[in-house]
Amino acid sequence: MCDSCGCQQDPVPINKEKVVDVHEQLLAANNEQASANRRHIEKMGAVALNLISSPGSGKTSLLEQTIERLKGRLSIGVIEGDLETERDAERIRKKGVPAVQLTTGGGCHLDAPMVHGGLHVLEHMAKGKKFDLIFIENVGNLVCPAAFDLGEHRRVVLLSVPEGSDKPEKYPATFRSADLVLVTKTDLLPYFDFNLEEATSAVKLLKPDLPVLPLAAEKGEGMDAWIDYLLALLPR
Amino acid sequence: MHEMSLAHGMMQQVLALLREHGAERVTDVTVLLGPFSGVVAESFAFGFEVLKKSETCFQDATLHLELPDPHYRCLECGVETSLPLTRSATFLDPDCETSTSSRCPVCASTRLSPLGGAELILQQVRME
Repeated sequence: MCDSCGCQQDPVPINKEKVVDVHEQLLAANNEQASANRRHIEKMGAVALNLISSPGSGKTSLLEQTIERLKGRLSIGVIEGDLETERDAERIRKKGVPAVQLTTGGGCHLDAPMVHGGLHVLEHMAKGKKFDLIFIENVGNLVCPAAFDLGEHRRVVLLSVPEGSDKPEKYPATFRSADLVLVTKTDLLPYFDFNLEEATSAVKLLKPDLPVLPLAAEKGEGMDAWIDYLLALLPR
Repeated sequence: MHEMSLAHGMMQQVLALLREHGAERVTDVTVLLGPFSGVVAESFAFGFEVLKKSETCFQDATLHLELPDPHYRCLECGVETSLPLTRSATFLDPDCETSTSSRCPVCASTRLSPLGGAELILQQVRME
């Protein structure tokens, strides 16, 4: 019997609980912007690469040498990510290539909305000229950038000889997310306890079909294979 | 990584759902963390516990984490397999397995290619 009015009906249970099945990505907002960036980059005529590594493993030097080899043949644009300073973008501009500096002011990675802003600035700098290759140099960090799709077509992870060959085992998520691993500063191999074979097999253990290219950008060693890799990405 | 900010973003998503459905409080949230997502379940849960105190409607909410085993395809024999999650030893569980390499259960090859596993998904919300 109902308590409130004494009627003979059984009380109707009021179940206010709602169950909502969502199945939505936690990074949905970033991923949507990344897809938009990819379309934007393609409209700019370009293929984009996201370079990820620890600080100081040679991302900017690699870009300088890459520009040196491709200038006159391809139109290149660079987006630089750092916590502070315009320094890296200035190094790239000295090579005669438009470069946008994104400073995160403490943030440990670039995300898709930041790159979106960078693409517009790059477009403005190029005054309507098309690009062939856009490099996005991420903040030096081997952890956080792995989770953020920026809208790149290829993700390249750099591992420099002084860091040690056990890096892929220590930072598996980042290496697993890569399309290419570059072992940089190979001219230092005689001076460091770095085993190239061990590093390569550690990478293959994480992702067997992941290619590994060793190079020393400033010395020109291994640069031909890297340049061939880039050229093969371009639409014929 | 940034478990705290991921937990914060997830709570914003849940708050939007709460408004959309005209509900007042959250009772349960289910989140799937893929084995290769790079997200530490304990840190994510800790972030949620800290942040929920600042939102009245989360006060009694319970977080449920789905932690699926990693899936691999063997590049030697082609078999698709799921292997139990190998976790590093922690203070909570000092005896747990510390191996970081896995082998194919059929041919024992170590050439296992991960299938998916980077997902971070808000699966279900219960609210009243």
